[in-house]
Amino acid sequence: MGTTASHLGKDLLSEYQELTFLTKQEILLAHKRFAELLTKEEKELPNIRISMERFLDLPELKSNPFRQRICHVFSTSESKDGSLTFEDFLDLLSAFSDSATLEIKSHYAFRIFDFDEDGTLNCGDLEKLVNCLTGETDDTRLTTEEMRQLISNILEESDIDKDGTVNLSEFQHVISRSPDFISSFKIVL
Amino acid sequence: MSTACEPLVGSTMPLSTAKRHKSVRKNSRRIYSAYQDRQQGSSDDNDKEDEHVDSNDPEEMFQNIQYQKEIIANIRTRPWPMRRKLKVLKQAREIVLRYEGRLTRTRGYQTAGADLLKKVSRLLYNTLVLFIPWEVRIKKIESHFGSGVASYFIFLRWLFGINIVLTVMTGAFIVLPELLAGAPFGTTRSKTIPNEHLASAQDLDTIWSLGGYLQYSVLFYGYYGRVRKIGSAGYRLPLAYFLVGMAVFAYSFIILLRKMAKNSRLSLASASDENFTFCWRIFCAWDYLIGNPEAAESKGAAIVNNIREAIVEEQEKKKDTSLAVLISLRILANILVLLSLAGSIYIIYFVVDRSQKLEQEKPELTLWEKNEVSVVVSLITMIAPSAFELVAQLEMYHPRTSLRFQLARVLVLYLGNLYSLIIALLDKVNSMSSAVPTNSGNRSGSSSFLATISQPLEGSISTRISEYGNSTTATITAVLDIASTGKSTSKINETSLFERNTRSQQDQCWETYVGQEMLKLSIIDMIFTVGSILLIDFIRGLVVRYLSDCCCWDLESKFPEYGEFKIAENVLHLIYNQGMIWMGAFFSPCLPAFNVLKLIGLMYLRSWAVLTCNVPHQQVFRASRSNNFYLAMLLFMLFLCMLPTIFAIVRYKPSQHCGPFSGQEKIYDIVSETVASDFPLWFSQVMGYITSPIVVLPALLLLFMLIYYLQAIARSLKFTNNQLRMQLQTERTEDKKKVFQMAAVRLQAPEEAVDRQSDLLESDMESQEAAAHTPSPQWNGNVRNFQSPLRHGNSIHTVTQSAAGLDLDRGCVAGSVASPMVTNLPKQIRGHVPNRTTPFLGGPRGTCRSKSYHHMAYNPQAVYSGHIQCEPVCRKPMCSFHPVEPARGVSAQSCGGCRGHTTRYLIVNEHVPREKLVRSATRIPRHYLMEEPAEILELYPRTFQHYTRRTTRHPSQPPPPHSSQQQLSEEEGGGEEQGEEGSRRLSLEKAPRPSSLSNLLQPAHFFIGDCVERHRSMAKDSNTSRGRYEAQEDDEDDNDDDDDDGELKWQGLESYSGFQANEKGAEPLVVRTRRRIPTSGKHYPSLGRVRPMETYTKPKMKQKRENPVTESDSSSEQQNSSADQRMQASRNKEHESNRRRGKLAKKSLKQDLI
Repeated sequence: MGTTASHLGKDLLSEYQELTFLTKQEILLAHKRFAELLTKEEKELPNIRISMERFLDLPELKSNPFRQRICHVFSTSESKDGSLTFEDFLDLLSAFSDSATLEIKSHYAFRIFDFDEDGTLNCGDLEKLVNCLTGETDDTRLTTEEMRQLISNILEESDIDKDGTVNLSEFQHVISRSPDFISSFKIVL
Repeated sequence: MSTACEPLVGSTMPLSTAKRHKSVRKNSRRIYSAYQDRQQGSSDDNDKEDEHVDSNDPEEMFQNIQYQKEIIANIRTRPWPMRRKLKVLKQAREIVLRYEGRLTRTRGYQTAGADLLKKVSRLLYNTLVLFIPWEVRIKKIESHFGSGVASYFIFLRWLFGINIVLTVMTGAFIVLPELLAGAPFGTTRSKTIPNEHLASAQDLDTIWSLGGYLQYSVLFYGYYGRVRKIGSAGYRLPLAYFLVGMAVFAYSFIILLRKMAKNSRLSLASASDENFTFCWRIFCAWDYLIGNPEAAESKGAAIVNNIREAIVEEQEKKKDTSLAVLISLRILANILVLLSLAGSIYIIYFVVDRSQKLEQEKPELTLWEKNEVSVVVSLITMIAPSAFELVAQLEMYHPRTSLRFQLARVLVLYLGNLYSLIIALLDKVNSMSSAVPTNSGNRSGSSSFLATISQPLEGSISTRISEYGNSTTATITAVLDIASTGKSTSKINETSLFERNTRSQQDQCWETYVGQEMLKLSIIDMIFTVGSILLIDFIRGLVVRYLSDCCCWDLESKFPEYGEFKIAENVLHLIYNQGMIWMGAFFSPCLPAFNVLKLIGLMYLRSWAVLTCNVPHQQVFRASRSNNFYLAMLLFMLFLCMLPTIFAIVRYKPSQHCGPFSGQEKIYDIVSETVASDFPLWFSQVMGYITSPIVVLPALLLLFMLIYYLQAIARSLKFTNNQLRMQLQTERTEDKKKVFQMAAVRLQAPEEAVDRQSDLLESDMESQEAAAHTPSPQWNGNVRNFQSPLRHGNSIHTVTQSAAGLDLDRGCVAGSVASPMVTNLPKQIRGHVPNRTTPFLGGPRGTCRSKSYHHMAYNPQAVYSGHIQCEPVCRKPMCSFHPVEPARGVSAQSCGGCRGHTTRYLIVNEHVPREKLVRSATRIPRHYLMEEPAEILELYPRTFQHYTRRTTRHPSQPPPPHSSQQQLSEEEGGGEEQGEEGSRRLSLEKAPRPSSLSNLLQPAHFFIGDCVERHRSMAKDSNTSRGRYEAQEDDEDDNDDDDDDGELKWQGLESYSGFQANEKGAEPLVVRTRRRIPTSGKHYPSLGRVRPMETYTKPKMKQKRENPVTESDSSSEQQNSSADQRMQASRNKEHESNRRRGKLAKKSLKQDLI
């Protein structure tokens, strides 16, 4: 396919532009950044995967509480280890780019928040989500009582069908009303 | 449930039933596997859809290509992994390429051109991105501090863009022409520095206060010549000056409004009544752009605070606290704020006043005295916000509200500053332009009076005289002013002052003065901004960072901390700054250019400061939410800043000796003058008409009407919008409620079923009787019962998908629930068929089923449960269609058993596309499938039996057993659908035989019933097979049965013909029937027979027969009776559905028959 890590084919480049929301410069920059994560011999291999650990060193992801989830969601790895190919990486950047649509952003956001990957955000997911946001230290963490109330409030607002979980369409409904989701669900290299 | 049911059933049944159950289970397993396959198939659907493009029809081809192109165009919006997108893209492209050639050549060229265009535009876009100023810088900031901080810089950049345009406008149309073609410096009075100032013209402090050479330069209004046309091309500078001055405002308005409209379109969804506070706080809390660990930390802290706050708020919502103290504190705070606002306004006014006095009293002013005004204003704008912040802490508002208060107060403060400044300036202008002390006395009282008097008397008398005329007009206006304001003082003084004033007027050019002040203010403001950034942010940052080690407390986290980047206040500051520009732009054409420089500097300085020594504001001011907020404030500012300029233009007379409009009565006279003198006569006439009240008033009226109309439309749209939303909400909630009710009823169903069994029994009996005598009435009754489910059906099917999980679980429960009824079976059976010697397998089950069935029908509460049940049932049949012969039995059962249900289901699903049905069917988890059949079985027999038996029975023609057997063997032989079909055909060929006929009919019926479900072929197969089986069974079971079969066949023939005859009759509802398991075939109630009879064609016949049968043939087994009931029930149900679908059914029927 011409995707050795050190070289990006011209056709491929234009196809990537077609398939993502990225500009040429952004794709090239992404490619450069991706190549930086590789060792020398790896650069010659086509379709190399970068392990999640190495990937999380990127400063753009480093402080993101959902970094692992992001990797997992965008990873096409068979073994579910969160490793990313360059194409996965482009997918990630495309979804997080400026011009990506709300729909696609919310779709991926939903998947990122869906920790157990069962297709809905249930209480467990929400709890993990909140914990990710607040951090795990004792003074920031919510008490169980707070957590319970918070989750019940969230469900009260968003769970339209009252099945105790937030599904994708409910999630998108909520998100689409949010004034600043689009502007904050972005990652810029 | 089949497992749960089995023991019970088994105990009361012969061995054959057990066998049958086994086969059922086997079959269900098959169904499941089939379903699995199906699922896989459906998942591949998308891929396949892209591929099949094999048609030579150009139209179709074209459409396909369009479709593929759509795919290509939209592919990036699909959340697929790249690999898949690549694949699909390739496929789509291939297809487009392959087939497009076949279409016209021009189309090929078109696409080639489009491709090229796309490439070029992409290239352009790529290069354009490079030219967006500070993109990289802003992205960097964004990735460090998040979108909030970035929004400030984006806003700054946007303002920068506006100012660029303004600069270009003024530069190209005013400054450059004046420089190139205007009279050079020193040629006219207005372009010459007065002698007495010449000495100091190059002094630093003069320059600093924008006097000297600067004052007599293109920077200010006064420099521009009054010559109507300049240069060889005859450029009309004064006109251009005026038009550009107006265009600056017009452009700003347009661009602002457009931006706001765009923003509000983007955020159209932020309806105020939808409140997702918590969700947003969680789902949208994280700013994914944050890459700086410190920023991430503070963001994390902010989120925690935010969440906690929300929780606390929520908790406190419930308890309302009496807050006398708080309220008094807030009142106090507001008083303080008001006081400080008033104070700042007063100070500004006082300073301006004083500066005027000083100017007039002292020939030489110190640096401080010259810049007093600007410095004071800047100081106030810097200090007051902090003071407000302190005051705001008193109020103890929620941070968000306090932020809003803060913003509002700061905005008011800025506006107040600007306004008091401009008013004071205009006051001065007043005194200058009209040269009447009393006028200015309006506000500054005697001071200005003194000022005018103290003006040095200079200049040549000749000039004075030349200007005499002008100044008289000035005095006249002044007099008018006085009269109008009711200040009739010192009229006498006028004349005495007059001469002196004329002199002062010559040098004093009030437009230049205003421009000077604004520019000065802008410069000082810039200096203060830079100073505050350096001092407050940078030095503080340095101190905190390097002294924290040698200090006894932690500087970084306690007192001085790092400076916060206060987005809101900074944005307000930008707005304030822009307001100054707008205010002064008319009087100082180079102000936008200066502002451009200022903004560039600010951009670099700010971004540097933010990156090096600031931490993000704790209070997150969200980017996009604030977007329109900023813009709204900016718009407000623009409007308010435009007012003084417009006021000055309209109200005051332009200076007599300087500027492009000197010598005119009003500035805007230039336009009318140009129109009058330089345009053809007709134009001025037209203009005259247009500006006459005759045109203007109607136009205004029209505008008002238009506005009103548009507003009305907007209101109605809003209203409908709200209604739709409400409707959506209620529908959703109601659907959900229904599902829950159904679920609840389902759970209760078992108990209720048991409780009511006796009732049911009775009712069953009654209904049976009724059916026997007068089928139609009963139907009606049944129909009524079913109506409610039907009605709900539509809404429910939407719900089912999401609720599928729940339903399924409950469905199982309910299914299992049904089994308990079996215990009561014997009674019922007895009731129905007292004479029966051996309880039929089908019989007991049938009763069970019928019970549950009736239960549903009779139980208003249970309606929902019934409904639920039918859903699963419906799905089953679909699944079952595909399975191979062995599965046939099951499928048949399910179909037949469901009959009653199915019909309902059909109705429900009328609107649902076939695919959906199939999918939903396939989705059913295994246990469901397995269990359902059993349930169905139960339902089955009872109704069927009655019907068939009775009718069939009396004819008593023993059918040739071998024929049926033959069929059987045939069917068995054909293990697959095709095989079945083949067998069916065979049987069709055999049509002459009664049995085969009946078979034929059955399929048809089935179709009619099931055509709705669209799985005809499968259904047919199963039906036919059933029919045959039934025949066989009957044979095997008893002779009587055989006889019945024969009858059936006969009837079948009849019905068949009748059927054909009255196609409307498609109502042959009952087709459903008996499912036959090849192996256990014996005990099958001959549903097949039943069906034909039921066929609508011969309702009467049937009825007649039935009556005799039932009465005479009471001995006939349960089967019959149950079958009858069954039939009736199903008929009732089908009745409606069939009617609706009559045509469809007919068609399908015909097809099948053929």
